[in-house]
Amino acid sequence: MGKSAPASIPPTDPDTGGGPAGSTEEGTAPDPDADPRTESADAGSPRAALELSGVTKHFPLRRRNTVALDGVDLTVEQGEFVSLLGPSGCGKSTVLRLLAGLEEPTTGRVRVHDRPPAALVNDHRLGIAFQQHALLPWASIADNVALPFRVAGRPVDRARVTELLRLTGLEEFAEARPRQLSGGMRQRAAIARALALNPEVLLLDEPFGSLDAVTRRRLNFELARIWSEQRITTLLVTHDVEEAVLLANRVVVLTGRPGRVRHVEHIDLPRPRGGRLTREPRFHEVVDRLTALLDGDLASRAGADEGATAQTGRRWLRRRGR
Amino acid sequence: MRTVRDSRVQTALLVAVGAVLALAAMEAIGRFQLLGRGWPPLSQVLDILHTPATRTLLGRSLRTTADEAGLGLLIGALVSVVVAVLGTVLPVLQAGLDRLAAVLNAVPLIALGPLLIATVGREGSPAVIAALAVGFVMFVSTTSGLEAASTAHRDVLAALGASRTTTLLRLRLPAAVPMVLDGLTQAAPAAVLGAIVGEWFGAPSGLGLLLVSAMQNYQTELLWAAGLAAALLAIVSYAVLGTVRSLMAWRFR
Amino acid sequence: MSGSGAVLRRFLGALGTVFSRYWTVLALLLAWELWVRARHLNAIVVPAPYSVVSDVFDNPSAYAGPLGHTLLNSVVGLALGMVLGLWCAMAVWFSRMLSGLLTPLLLVMRSVPVVVMIPVVARVVGFGTPAVTTITTLVSFFPTFVMVLSGLRAAPTAMTDVFAVLGASRPMVLRRLLLPHAVPELLVALRLTAPSAVLAAMLAEYLLGRSGLGTLFADAVVFVAPQRAWGAALIATVVSVACFVAARGVERRYAGRFR
Repeated sequence: MGKSAPASIPPTDPDTGGGPAGSTEEGTAPDPDADPRTESADAGSPRAALELSGVTKHFPLRRRNTVALDGVDLTVEQGEFVSLLGPSGCGKSTVLRLLAGLEEPTTGRVRVHDRPPAALVNDHRLGIAFQQHALLPWASIADNVALPFRVAGRPVDRARVTELLRLTGLEEFAEARPRQLSGGMRQRAAIARALALNPEVLLLDEPFGSLDAVTRRRLNFELARIWSEQRITTLLVTHDVEEAVLLANRVVVLTGRPGRVRHVEHIDLPRPRGGRLTREPRFHEVVDRLTALLDGDLASRAGADEGATAQTGRRWLRRRGR
Repeated sequence: MRTVRDSRVQTALLVAVGAVLALAAMEAIGRFQLLGRGWPPLSQVLDILHTPATRTLLGRSLRTTADEAGLGLLIGALVSVVVAVLGTVLPVLQAGLDRLAAVLNAVPLIALGPLLIATVGREGSPAVIAALAVGFVMFVSTTSGLEAASTAHRDVLAALGASRTTTLLRLRLPAAVPMVLDGLTQAAPAAVLGAIVGEWFGAPSGLGLLLVSAMQNYQTELLWAAGLAAALLAIVSYAVLGTVRSLMAWRFR
Repeated sequence: MSGSGAVLRRFLGALGTVFSRYWTVLALLLAWELWVRARHLNAIVVPAPYSVVSDVFDNPSAYAGPLGHTLLNSVVGLALGMVLGLWCAMAVWFSRMLSGLLTPLLLVMRSVPVVVMIPVVARVVGFGTPAVTTITTLVSFFPTFVMVLSGLRAAPTAMTDVFAVLGASRPMVLRRLLLPHAVPELLVALRLTAPSAVLAAMLAEYLLGRSGLGTLFADAVVFVAPQRAWGAALIATVVSVACFVAARGVERRYAGRFR
C-alpha cells in the first residue's frame, strides 16, 4: 500500500458506483503525498450539493501570509452527512466559512448547488450553528428559533417553531431566556434555529465543542436522530473522532498548517446509530484508525495505513481493476 | 495583505479629508453667516493673531491657564494617589473614601467658588478647582489599578511570606502604573476644564476670563480665538500624556 | 417585645452600614460646622452647614422654581443629546466613509471639555435657554455616540455570522442584533451623562441663564445671600447624585438582559 493509502476516495458509496474518473487538476500544488484527485470528477453533477475545488485560502497576518487551506477538494452529495475532522487550527472552520459565504477563497471555486454560496444565503436556504450558541440573550427561546423567519421578512410560522422545539426537546422552555438554560439546551436551540426555514444545507461548526463529554454524547445521539428524520445535506466540523464517526456518512480528515485533505473514510455503520453502536468493536476500529491518523503525520503514518486497509484496499483493488 | 494596507491608506486619506472638510465647514459657516454673526469665518479668527496686542493677550492668558491646569493636575494626582494608597493600606477607610470621592465629584464645581475665594483667594481657586476636577478620575483609576494585580501574583507573594508593605511596593504599585497613566491622560482635559471654570469666579487673568469678557463685549473673533486656544491646550495635554502612557505602560503589563 | 427588638436591631444595623460608608462625608460636614462656630466666621464668608440646610427647608418655594427649570433644561438636553448620539452612531456604523471623515472631529471632541465652550456656544445660539439646552445636549451627545458606536461594533462574531448566513440585510442586522446589543452601552452613557448634564446646565445658567439653579446661585452671590447660594449648590449636588443613583439602578436592572 505504501504512501498512497490515506488519500481521497470517491464520495459516493463504493457499492453504488461513481468510481474514480479522470482527475481535474487545476494547477494548484497538491500535497506530494496525496493521490491525484479523484473525487471532484462529478463536479457539476446535479447531486453535488457542496463543492470545493482547488481551494486555497490565505490570511494576511501581520506582515506574513498564513496559508489556511492549500488545494482542498471536497464534494458533499445531496442528503449526505459529512464530518470534517482535523486538529485545531487546520482550517476546517475555514472550509465551513467558505461554504457559508463568510469568506472568499484566495484561489479555487466554492459552489453550493452549483451556485456561489451567497445565492443560497440570499434565498435564506442555509442553516448554521457555531460552538458559541450565538442566541440573542434578550429574546425568548421561541423567538430565537423564529429569528430566521423575521430576518427573511416572512411571517413567523408558529407551528414550525413549536415543531422544532419539540424535535429538540425544548417545548417547555419556549418562553425561557437563553441564560436560564443549560449549555446543552442552548446548543439544541441553536440547532433548532438553524433548521427553522427547512434549509437545503446545514453547516455545523463544532456545535457541541463547549459542552461536557456526557452532554455532548447525548446531543450527538439526538442530532443523529434529527438528521435521520430530515436528511438535510450536512457538513459538521469537529475535532472529536467519535462524534465525527457516529454522525457521518463520510469523514474527511484534514491535516493542519496548511490544511489539506489527508484521508476520506466512508462510514458504513447502520442507522439508527445509538449508544449501543458506540460500544461495538467495528465502531472502535474506525475511531481508532482515524485517531491514529490525527495523532501525528509522521509518527503514526504506518499505523494509520495498516488500519485503513479495509477501505483503501477495496479502492486500490477497484482502481487496479480499471 | 495588500488589501489591508490599501484600506489603511484609504482610512488615513478619509481622516485627512475629514479634517480639511471640518476646517472648511468652519470657514464656510462663518463666511456665509449660516449660523448668524456669532460664528465668524475661521480665517478672520486667525487674522486677529496678527495684532501684536491680541497675540500677547492670548499668549499670556494661555500661559496662566496652562500653569493653573498643570499645578491642579499635579496636586490632584498626588493627593488622590496618596489617598487611594491609604485606602488600600487601611481597608477600614476604603468604603468611606470611595463615598467621599463620589460626593465631592457630584458637588457642582461652581458651588465651591465662594468657599475657595474666601480661603485661597481669586488667584488660587482655578488651580484648586482643577485639582478637584482631576481628583475623582485619578482616585478611581488608582484604586482600580491597585486592585489590578492578579490573584496568582498575590498568592505567590503571600506564599513567600511577603509583608503588606512589600506586596504594595513590589506588586500592587507597579501593577497600578498603567491605570494611573490612563487616569492621568483622562484627567488632563479635566484639569483644563477646572482651571477655566475656576477663572469664571473673577480670576484676574486666564482663558476663562478672556472667554467671558469677550462674550460680554461681543468680541466674537477674540472669543473664538480664546475657545480655540482652550481646545488646543486640552488636545495637546491629552496627546502628550497619552504618548507618555503608551511609551511607559508596556513595561508594566 | 422581641419583634420590636429585632426591628430596632435591623434599624441600628442599617444605620451602621450607612455610617461605615458615609462617615467621611459626615465627618467633613461636622468639621466644617465646628470650624465655622469656633472661628466665629462671618456667615457671608462661609455659612455653617446647618444654616444652609435650614434655609432650604424654610424656603422651599424659593428653590422649587429654579430647580424645575434646571431639571427641564437637563432632561431636554439629555434626551436630545442621547437621541442625536444614537443616530450619529448608527450613521457612522453604516458608512465607512462617514466614520473616516468624522474621526478628526471625534478625536477633538474626546479631549476638549464641552463646558469650557459655553461662552462660544452662547454667542452662536443666543443667551439664555437655547444656550443652556445646547450645552446639555453636547455634554450628553458625545459619550452616547462613543459608547453606542463601540457597542454596535462589539457584537460577537458568531452572532453577526449567524445573521450573515441567514441572509440578513444591514438594516435588519442593525435592528434585530446590533441595537439591542448596544443597549447596555446606551445605559452606561446614561449613567455617565445624566449627572453631568445637571451640572453643565447649572454652570451654563450661572454664566448666562435667566432662570434655574445656576442663576439662583449667581444672584445669591451678587446679593450676598450665602445661605441661598450654598442651598442652590446643595440641591444641585443632591439632584446630581440622585440622577447617578437612578441611572445606575436602571443600568443594573436592565443591562443584564441584553448580554
